[in-house]
Amino acid sequence: MSEVIVVTSGKGGVGKSTTTANLGVGLAMRGQKVVLIDTDTGLRNLDLLLGLENRIMYDLVDVIEGRVEIRKALVRHKKFENLQLLPTSQVKDKSAVNPADLMALCDELRKEYDYVIIDCPAGIEQGFQTAIAGADTAIVVTMPEVSAVRDADKIIGELGRSEKDNIKLIINRIRPAMVDSGEMMDMDDINDILAIKCIGQVPDDIKVVTSANRGEPVVGDNDSQAGKAYANIVGRIMGEDIPFMEFEKEGFFAKLKKAFGM
Amino acid sequence: MSRDLVTIKGGKDGFRLLVDSSASMEEIEAEIKKKLEENPGFFPEGTKFELEVADLDRSVKKGIDQLLSKHGFGVDKSPKADNHTADNIRGIKKTGQPEQTTVQEMMVLNRTIRGGEEVTSQSSILICGNVNPGAHVIAGGSIDIRGKCRGMVHAGAWGDTNAVIIADRLMPSQIRIANMIARSPDSMEQSDFAERAYIKDGQIVIEPIER
Repeated sequence: MSEVIVVTSGKGGVGKSTTTANLGVGLAMRGQKVVLIDTDTGLRNLDLLLGLENRIMYDLVDVIEGRVEIRKALVRHKKFENLQLLPTSQVKDKSAVNPADLMALCDELRKEYDYVIIDCPAGIEQGFQTAIAGADTAIVVTMPEVSAVRDADKIIGELGRSEKDNIKLIINRIRPAMVDSGEMMDMDDINDILAIKCIGQVPDDIKVVTSANRGEPVVGDNDSQAGKAYANIVGRIMGEDIPFMEFEKEGFFAKLKKAFGM
Repeated sequence: MSRDLVTIKGGKDGFRLLVDSSASMEEIEAEIKKKLEENPGFFPEGTKFELEVADLDRSVKKGIDQLLSKHGFGVDKSPKADNHTADNIRGIKKTGQPEQTTVQEMMVLNRTIRGGEEVTSQSSILICGNVNPGAHVIAGGSIDIRGKCRGMVHAGAWGDTNAVIIADRLMPSQIRIANMIARSPDSMEQSDFAERAYIKDGQIVIEPIER
């Protein structure tokens, strides 16, 4: 039973590519056969997060236009043999790929892989419509911020209009201390508005940035809160029932402030 | 351009179409057509315009009549002496309601209306679900929301001042009833009971209701 998952958000900068990379590595660590497709043509960066930029030979546009076989364009991950990346072109734009092409490609990859994860571009235009075309499941990534939640809401509406009804939510970049002090929307507020199944709450963590710069996703790093959160999401995608974890507070000063009731 | 030949102004009981009678029929026709097509769907089909005539040329009058009916509007021909200003400006009054029907219709939606979505109906609207921030619900009649209302709601959009808005939790960004607008306070508190908004003494009031 293979599954095609699209990771989308509407708003940029909420962590679609980071989430895609982490889910891909996480699932591969659990022994699943995974292929990641970057559909952000012209602004590709999923390869950077995975540290695979210098291994790219061909890209999605070459495959769609029939210049190479899919097999040749896939880039194998350094550590995990069962994780492949299909990068996109940095020189072409989003009009180079249309929904029917991607749908056919997903159906082809579905035969061989357990999970096909598509990294969707920001926005609701053609690139988005292309990315979601072949997906069974959509994962909407948002942040506890009014603009990100508003855009997520819009995206859920768009997915509904495209008859994608299996939609799940990941809330990314949560700052537990700010949520506690009431400066950031809390999870209940977001769930109340979006009203879809939440499969992950990921805290904001500097390790996400440092690991992205190294090209090694943070998932599975037990010293990192975000890494643990991503590992839990991977478990939930595989059908396990894992409760949401409690976040550690931001450190000494946050605790001190709390002790004095500030 | 110094001044428009045709101006549409919102009045208390409808819209006025002001025409400069010094202009030729061709100019007026082009201008009205432009205005109507700028905003398709703004005027409901079947709206009756009342053509108020004093010294507008008969052929021009007939021209406007034909033009409006081509766009699906009727013209109410009862003439009313209403000379506005010296520079020959004339008004066409739109009657407030779309055509009266004996059977009341209602649009029923069993889903959440999400941000960026716009629901419009000539009739009343019943929504079994939430209206999220950024969504617009526009009804000719009343609006009933069995859920939380955080979007923009407009009841009686074509002038029905008796329209009401009811929601289990009424926290919209804006409430509009007929031609009145009320916006939410800048720091919106969570409401804990069902409420109804309606027009009382010329302003929108909100009161809790049992449900």
